[in-house]
Amino acid sequence: MRRLWRGLSPAATVYGLLLAWEGVCRAGLVTPFLLPAPSAIAWRLGQQLLAGDLAWHLALSLYRTLVSFALALLIAVPLGLAMGRVRGVRWFCEPLLAVGFPAPKIVFVQVFMLWFGLHELPKIAMATLEGIFPILSATYLGALGVDRSLLWSARNLGTGEVRLLWKVVLPAALPQVLNGAQIALPICFIVVFVTEMLLGGGGLGDAMMLAQRFADSRGVFAGIVTVSLLGYGTMRVVAWTRRLLLHWHVETQVRQL
Amino acid sequence: MAVKIEARGLYKVYPRDKGEAVPALAGLDLQVYENEFLAIVGPSGCGKSTLLYLMAGFLDATAGELLLDGRPIRGPQRDCGIVFQHFALFPWKTVKGNILYGLEERKVPRAERERLARHYIAQMKLTGFENSYPHQLSGGMKQRVAIARTLALDPAVLLMDEPFGALDAQTRRLMQEELLALWERKKKTVVFVTHDVREAVYLADRVAVMTARPGRIKAIVDTRLSAAARRHELLESEELVAKANAVWALVREEVEKSAALGE
Repeated sequence: MRRLWRGLSPAATVYGLLLAWEGVCRAGLVTPFLLPAPSAIAWRLGQQLLAGDLAWHLALSLYRTLVSFALALLIAVPLGLAMGRVRGVRWFCEPLLAVGFPAPKIVFVQVFMLWFGLHELPKIAMATLEGIFPILSATYLGALGVDRSLLWSARNLGTGEVRLLWKVVLPAALPQVLNGAQIALPICFIVVFVTEMLLGGGGLGDAMMLAQRFADSRGVFAGIVTVSLLGYGTMRVVAWTRRLLLHWHVETQVRQL
Repeated sequence: MAVKIEARGLYKVYPRDKGEAVPALAGLDLQVYENEFLAIVGPSGCGKSTLLYLMAGFLDATAGELLLDGRPIRGPQRDCGIVFQHFALFPWKTVKGNILYGLEERKVPRAERERLARHYIAQMKLTGFENSYPHQLSGGMKQRVAIARTLALDPAVLLMDEPFGALDAQTRRLMQEELLALWERKKKTVVFVTHDVREAVYLADRVAVMTARPGRIKAIVDTRLSAAARRHELLESEELVAKANAVWALVREEVEKSAALGE
């Protein structure tokens, strides 16, 4: 019985909630406009899937998220490593990090619209900017905390100062780098979604805004469900990637027990 | 005997952001002879590790001269291999990967790399663990990997910073015997930092006793044991006990001074 409960419990919460939701709607306690039933939303999702426009919006949002996430990684990881190891870089970047990290960078969206127009660039730039900070901060602290004897060993075995950054500092700081990346990915996702809502140009955010303008609450909820599933899916992929990259780490062994 | 490493009037001061700078070494003179086994003992915080890091080229001296083969030491060099107390293995690399690392960085040809890695894996009794990761190994095994990694580059000087300090007593004893056997087979200059007087006397030809901080050499004691006393099956010999007591008398004075300084 206990084992059955344990196997069910994570999914059971979601199923239970869905059943209750369906019940409330079927009983007519709320109007379908304010809260459409899960079955109605599923029906709509099916229709959108068949029509192909869901796949299109999904692909657009996913494309923007992944490009901005990759750009954020490419900028923040080398910069974070350098901040951890090179005094001049640390001196220059630390105040920027301290001011920039807590600031809500989404306020730049209008400025970015002026600079970059309405198409892909402002959305990707916005999401990249938001994604950089958690990765930069985690990589920097990770690089700063690398054991001195590890660096000295590598120096002793023939590694030069610059090579040290990616031969030793990066792998040693990798658990922290991935922590930052795991925070940055959903942030990129959220920002892409919000900029799509604000600027249009296709994608799940735009599709939901459109559905709202036509008072199509099923469409709005279908969007919410899609975004939630997409977010959950990407996080699973990231967790799996983490285990793959950190197969040498104690953390991975513990989780397998 | 030829001098391998020479320190003349060596000073090392650690700067601090606030308050006074901390002097670690104050005018230290020392000669390490070629192919000898020299142990350095002294109270905690006396600067013995600092001296070793200066020899390895990780730190720069504040003043004075430090020479390897008559040339000043500037930065890490191939001739000086180091082994740390906490192994400092690359946790993302396997046993074999760790041993290969230095050979790859020094651009040793592939076939030669493989041969050397196999040789040291066998010599350090690591066969069967080639593909294990450091966190899967015991402390003694980790230190064997670290020693193999350093020896693979065949340095003329082996610097050891309390290499057996983190091991249990039995493993430590076996590792000491193995290190001696290794050194007897293939002579190298060994500088061995420890706070264990018995270990120093058991292993070394000479033991350098350092003063309380700031460190200088207080005395150098000849501790070469007879072959009988070094026979591995003996736990303690009278000769070893007598020499260890003599060294301990010197160290004790400094430990007491160090304690009086509130350290």
